[in-house]
Amino acid sequence: MNIDEARQKFEEAGYETWITERMAGVRNKVARKTLWIRIPKEKFREAMQFFKDMADQYPHFSIISCTDFGSNVELNYHFALGYGGRLEEFVITFKVSLPKNDLKIDSIADIFPAVIYSEREIREMMGIDVINIPDDRHMFLTKDFPSGVYPWRRDETGVKETNKLYERWKDEA
Amino acid sequence: MKHDYEIAVGPIHPSLKEPILLRLTIEGEEIVDVDVIASQNHRGIEWIGMNRNNPIQSIYLAERICGICNFCHPSNLVMAIEEIAGIEPPERAQYIRVIQGDLERIHSHLLWAGVAAHEIGFDSLLHYTWMVRERVMDVLETVNGNRVTKAIIMYGGVRRDIDEEKAKLIRKMCSYYREAFNKLAKLFLEDDTIKKRTREIGILKYEDALKLATAGPTTRASGVKKDVRQDFPYFAYPDFDIHAITPDELLGYTVGDVYDRIVVRLLEVKQSIEIIEEALDNMPSGDILAEKKLVKLMAKIKGSEGEAVARYEAPRGEDIHYVMLKQGYEPLYSWKVRAPTYINILSWRPMLLGYQIADIPIIAASIDPCISCTNRFAVVKDGEEKIINADYFHRLSIQKTRRLMK
Repeated sequence: MNIDEARQKFEEAGYETWITERMAGVRNKVARKTLWIRIPKEKFREAMQFFKDMADQYPHFSIISCTDFGSNVELNYHFALGYGGRLEEFVITFKVSLPKNDLKIDSIADIFPAVIYSEREIREMMGIDVINIPDDRHMFLTKDFPSGVYPWRRDETGVKETNKLYERWKDEA
Repeated sequence: MKHDYEIAVGPIHPSLKEPILLRLTIEGEEIVDVDVIASQNHRGIEWIGMNRNNPIQSIYLAERICGICNFCHPSNLVMAIEEIAGIEPPERAQYIRVIQGDLERIHSHLLWAGVAAHEIGFDSLLHYTWMVRERVMDVLETVNGNRVTKAIIMYGGVRRDIDEEKAKLIRKMCSYYREAFNKLAKLFLEDDTIKKRTREIGILKYEDALKLATAGPTTRASGVKKDVRQDFPYFAYPDFDIHAITPDELLGYTVGDVYDRIVVRLLEVKQSIEIIEEALDNMPSGDILAEKKLVKLMAKIKGSEGEAVARYEAPRGEDIHYVMLKQGYEPLYSWKVRAPTYINILSWRPMLLGYQIADIPIIAASIDPCISCTNRFAVVKDGEEKIINADYFHRLSIQKTRRLMK
């Protein structure tokens, strides 16, 4: 399955999609492409199941990245499809936006078991409530890490204490 | 009557290069349950990149994410930002990046091979492998001025050229490795003791490798034909005919055990030598940096907005960075780093289940984890904690090797 076929399937299913690309190679110029798909949060699980069923090979899960935009938080689920061929792989990223006052997302660990570490990570780093997560312990932060502090946030719940040294240096300079 | 014990390997352990804790439930000698606890040391690198550093400083920060793959992380960051800001690196720089990347792969795989030999108590092989590895370290030092953190990559190119003199040195190194390769392959692949300690040990099935999204040699050793250099275009790699190496190439079949992981890494050393030689032969001439003035470069990056995903085949597998820039905001607005070990440690569970305590070091090391070192583990028996040091643990492993040699 190539990127255009994948895009068409998601377009038909009613999702907003777009492609970005960048050239690589010197003598043999090939574009590397990323397919971006925006998913409303209510349809998230449905879309993930749809993705797994439509793919002609097991989707390779990479990571969940997470950005705080003030009033909302955006999650990107990065996957790759098309591996095993020659320069045919593309990245496929699902974007889900969550309002700050309702940071909840369904777990997809039953669909893609590899997401578990990443789901645990967004839970502790961004304070997102992952519904039905099979393992809700801390992943990278220690178990005595203060509650209500989320290192990736850009609001009052972000990390401030660790900045002490830097702030002092800035004042002195 | 059965006694279930829980032992903890880590947080600091010689077969793991970074602090991580493995909690294993043991029934006699057999491992029946595995839990990985990673919360030992979080350096907040992404946070620094998103709050404190400017993007140029972040290259050097990314370089320090990992000492061994110190080229792959900055490469990913640079690739992502070049895509967002529309910076085109010159052709020659793209070739130099390929050479740098594969020099790193050679040194990393040889380092791993040495560690693997040490884990099963074959220390003379450790010393031999690391002696062989010194050659590539010398070349790295001559070419980059540094053995480890090379500070070679820059937005829009590389910082140092590879001239004729240095190219000659690299070519000499390649022919040295061609010879050394045969000897190393014989030592690692034909030795009976190594076979006994690694064959049918720590098996990761093809289906599990796919399901757990494992990357790099770990996944290829289970027969998954997946290599970012082959699959996904970046740098000058599309110019080269690269294929994902699986153990069946050498043996005709794939088991997915520790032995297969040795096979894959050894063959990849050979593949890297070929890539480097081809890159030196076909290197285009010209500039190595698109924009030499840092202030201008910074202004361009600061004025750019957008997001990009960059991927790179690090020695341990797929490395991926997600970067978002926002106009007028100097640090990266969003930065997510995922090193290959992040995803590969998931495969420890299926690999360890059903094997013996003495197999833990070699199985844990077989995915080439990029996590730091243990000295002791605690045994909890009848509620009493007893600390056992690394020497004892290592001795257990050596004893098993000796037993098998008899």
